[in-house]
Amino acid sequence: MSSDLLGSELLTLFRRRRTWAMLAALGLIPILIAVAIRISGGSSPGRGPAFLDQVAGNGLFVGVTAMTVAIPLFLPLTIGVVAGDSIAGEASHGTLRYLLIAPAGRIRLLVVKYLAAAAFCAAATLTVVIVGTLIGWALFPVGPVTLLSGATVDVGEALVRFLAIAGYVTVSLLGMSAIGLFLSTLTTVPVGAMAATAILAVVSQIMGALPQLEALHPWLFTHYWLGFGDLMREPIVWDSFVDNAVLQAGYILVFGTLAIGRFLTKDVLS
Amino acid sequence: MRAHDTGASRRFTRWIPAIAAPIAIGVGVVLVPMQANAAVDLPDLTPAELLELAASSEVDALSGTIEQTSELGLPDLSGLSGAMGGGSGEGDSDGSADAEASATDLDDLISLATGTHTARVYVDGHDARLQVLDRLAERDVYVSDDGAWVYDSREQAATHVTVDEASFEALEQELEATHGADAEARADQLREQFEAEAGEPMPTPEEMLDRALAKLDETTEVSVGTDARVAGREAYELVLEPRDAETLVGEIAIAIDGETGAALAASVTARGASEPAFRVAFTEVSFEAPDASVFDFTPPEGTEVTEHVVTAPTLAELEQRKAEAGATGDGMPQPVVHGEGWTTVVELPAGDGTAAGLDAEASAMLDALTQRVDGGRVLSTSLVTVLLTDDGRVLAGAVTVDHLLDVAGR
Repeated sequence: MSSDLLGSELLTLFRRRRTWAMLAALGLIPILIAVAIRISGGSSPGRGPAFLDQVAGNGLFVGVTAMTVAIPLFLPLTIGVVAGDSIAGEASHGTLRYLLIAPAGRIRLLVVKYLAAAAFCAAATLTVVIVGTLIGWALFPVGPVTLLSGATVDVGEALVRFLAIAGYVTVSLLGMSAIGLFLSTLTTVPVGAMAATAILAVVSQIMGALPQLEALHPWLFTHYWLGFGDLMREPIVWDSFVDNAVLQAGYILVFGTLAIGRFLTKDVLS
Repeated sequence: MRAHDTGASRRFTRWIPAIAAPIAIGVGVVLVPMQANAAVDLPDLTPAELLELAASSEVDALSGTIEQTSELGLPDLSGLSGAMGGGSGEGDSDGSADAEASATDLDDLISLATGTHTARVYVDGHDARLQVLDRLAERDVYVSDDGAWVYDSREQAATHVTVDEASFEALEQELEATHGADAEARADQLREQFEAEAGEPMPTPEEMLDRALAKLDETTEVSVGTDARVAGREAYELVLEPRDAETLVGEIAIAIDGETGAALAASVTARGASEPAFRVAFTEVSFEAPDASVFDFTPPEGTEVTEHVVTAPTLAELEQRKAEAGATGDGMPQPVVHGEGWTTVVELPAGDGTAAGLDAEASAMLDALTQRVDGGRVLSTSLVTVLLTDDGRVLAGAVTVDHLLDVAGR
């Protein structure tokens, strides 16, 4: 029953023109980076975003470079739209009532909405990595990849590591999706929830950049966002992957239960 | 009325998970480390026994994660170095690249002196590797019998340091040829002298340790602190407290693994401070030999490789150097050491034009870093004080400003 609900929810999400527009915008990031470097030549080491200097020598780096560029703003923005819209969007369309008339309970609806948002996180990160790899392959020479440790791995292993990076970033965004879901239960104006979620991500990153708030840093949901570099080391350091997963699980627990508390006690009028 | 009550209480029960979740997380965050530390109770040791345990440690293979935090109380320089980096115009590419490089070097230095760093270490016999984990970057040091590799992912540069063993052997042979008989005689003499002082033949290691402790005790209070858990292992704590009130060092604590005797953590606390000014500790450690592949390094393609060969000087060069050092006036100024123990002060005599040679940028930095005092400028951090006197001398030590001024005035 709930898998039916999830299936139809995913169908609705990925049939939307807005979803595809956001994925296309994300896919445009690696394309822009690759074309710009193709036209104007590579950059020198130590300038621009991480890995940018490697792109001209090895096209496989386009995906990772695009990821470092997309993480601070573009990814949170799109996730904020999907998560913030989840409940508030239905409420504003007046369809929430009908969803709840069906035998699906409110908790189940929340879970399904959350899983759909998580699926979008995965789709968004995969878009960046896959489009980046393809455009890099098309425009630049491709060869064994030099890791941060100075070790070199062949193309196959590099691609597996890039997929692992997409996984890491997906996990990184799960806590934020839970926050978006909770904010979405607070209002019937979807734009409010979307904006609030995206702004929270930016605020959290600004707090993470202030050394005066160092004690707070490990608690910010953005703290491990750029930690995916640990997957580019040899041997791979899994510490930040685990720490990140635990932190995101904490956010899911806190904001998931908050969303449940709010949604169960809410009077659904529309 | 009644219906309203049950409605309200039902409403409340639905919020219970939302209240319970943060409480559960909070309790977990507080309790888990407390429980980890509460269980540690190792058999009591005297400081001498603990030092012996540490000295007898035979760990030749390990892998682990170390974390270094330092809070030296340096003035905030981030604005300054940023201004220096941005100040250089975009016009001439060479000049701006140089300025940028120096600015990033400065940033590196500042970032090392402040904040937290994580690194992984691998040791197996003669092979060792230090892997400094920076955000989206890495610095590596590989050490093996064939020399050392230093790799920086951000610069994509590798330095290969090798030792020219032939030159060292040659020096050794030369030394033996000229001083062989002499050295032997001197060793005999030393031993006789030692035996005369001790009034007995060569002491056992324990006696040596006792004597060393007694000597240490004159300047330092050595004690065993509370057992704690470091990197998941039960560890003793060796505490060294300077008896001299003039030094800034309040306490040095070293965590020693109860099982292997290996040092697991070390911290330096400034006098009167509650948090360590500098701390380096394992957060995770294993004493099993790491996989041999972690020590492999070949510079990747496109890396700028610098070869650096360390050669031993020949005997003639050594003697020439000695002669140069002996001659007064010429050559580099030799540092003078005042005092001993915790209050040692190192003085660099006035060189030619050290202060005058500074350009505007450097002197602006000096002004931001230092404070004006009577007779010079002082850079004070929580552990180290540096005095730049007006006549160009530089004095440094882990001592108070007053003590440094006192030494300078002598």
